Amino acid sequence: MVTKKKKIIVNTIVALIFFALIGWVAIGLNENSKKTSQNNQTTSQVDEWNRIKKTKQITIGLDDTFVPMGFRDKNGKLIGFDVDLANAVFKTMGITVKWQPIDWSMKETELNTGNIDAIWNGYTKTAAREKQVAFSETYHNATQVLVTLKKNNINHFTDMKDKVLGDQTASSGDEGFSKYPKVLKQYVKDQKVVGYDTFDKAFNDLNAGRIDGLLIDEDYARYYVAHQPNPKNYTITVGDFPVDQTGVGFRKSDNGLRRAVNKTLAAFKADGRMNEIEDKWFSK
Amino acid sequence: MNYLMEILPSLLAGLKMTLGVFFLTIIGSVPLGIIVSLGMKSPYFTIRWIINGYIWIMRGTPLLLQLIFVYYGLGMIGITFPRFEAAVIAFIINYAAYLAEIFRGGLQSMPRGQYDAAKVLGFNKFQTFFKIILPQVIKIIVPSFGNEVINLVKDTSLVYVIGLGDILRAGNIAASRDVTLLPYLLVGLIYLLMTAIVTVALRRSEKRLNIWR
Repeated sequence: MVTKKKKIIVNTIVALIFFALIGWVAIGLNENSKKTSQNNQTTSQVDEWNRIKKTKQITIGLDDTFVPMGFRDKNGKLIGFDVDLANAVFKTMGITVKWQPIDWSMKETELNTGNIDAIWNGYTKTAAREKQVAFSETYHNATQVLVTLKKNNINHFTDMKDKVLGDQTASSGDEGFSKYPKVLKQYVKDQKVVGYDTFDKAFNDLNAGRIDGLLIDEDYARYYVAHQPNPKNYTITVGDFPVDQTGVGFRKSDNGLRRAVNKTLAAFKADGRMNEIEDKWFSK
Repeated sequence: MNYLMEILPSLLAGLKMTLGVFFLTIIGSVPLGIIVSLGMKSPYFTIRWIINGYIWIMRGTPLLLQLIFVYYGLGMIGITFPRFEAAVIAFIINYAAYLAEIFRGGLQSMPRGQYDAAKVLGFNKFQTFFKIILPQVIKIIVPSFGNEVINLVKDTSLVYVIGLGDILRAGNIAASRDVTLLPYLLVGLIYLLMTAIVTVALRRSEKRLNIWR
């Protein structure tokens, strides 16, 4: 049906196109890795602050399941402490915020590929993150607390001896748990923690008695306990975990943007606007 | 009950995203799958090798990884798609690979005599394929095709990784906001409803195709 000559010609052409494509992708990757190594994990070297000032719009990435920092009300509208704060901060500069929901594990990639201009969503400062992003000044402090059922009578971290502990996988509480074994790890059963992807599932297990304690960020702990049918059934225990500092994450090259946000945050702290927003979301 | 009614609008907004990905994937992957399955029978070994490599990669890696590569990975070499388009592209090329194998199975079940008979009757290559072979192949593959379609309904939930808000994410948001598992129950029911509709539609088409038997 197909002659041998035709076979050879078509095979050659297809093979050539195929290798040309692979070569093109390889060159693209190579150039990109050169760029990446040159400017320290960021793809853009220019300060994007000028573009943001000109277009009067900034894209901020958030995990819209992150209660009470940034989440959605029943009508799907974005609300929360960080949403209010960021909107207010940029409003003073005449810039509107475009909120982009992202997957939390992809946040640094989203930032450094330029899909978003900032991460502003209860973003705790850690050494590993500081290698990839530039943080603003700390605007919020929170520590890790232990939530337990009142009837189990756990009032100190030492009371967790041989009890089962739960937390959120890859949260800063999870990091602190392994980093400071003396604080809590040495007491709990098998020196292990049960990891959940979201806290609502962990709370469910706490109520069901499958875990005895839940290691959780102070802000979330208060929000979740307040939203349980019987808030009085729970005990929140503050222990010796170091305080987590929350900041806004920017690209390392965006110095202008970072300075502007720092300045506005300082002004908000000084004139009480910060307190106002805090009271709205973290009322105890 | 009241509560479920309250969160239903946000879930339905997520449902729109789910259905968008679902329908565009079906529309894109069926023709691509047919082309790929024909390519596997190509007389040119280079085309066969490339297609086999493509199917190996698509079926051999998790769809979640493919989504990450299409959106973030291609973005790194300068090919940037918007989020929704990236999701649809990843789903189409993934599902086309699975569908191609199903079509290939259907094509191989056609007896040689069908082609010979068509040739004797004076059909050309295209007529033979579209008028004789394809209608019979479709009939054979409906059950296994249905499997993939139902899988697709559920796989659409993976789009969360590139920040798209589908129905499962909407359920996640409601669950973490209101500290209850009820939204998941409602999400589950909506998925069941979708797969029920797909199942009924496939049964119907199977019956209608059976008129040739």
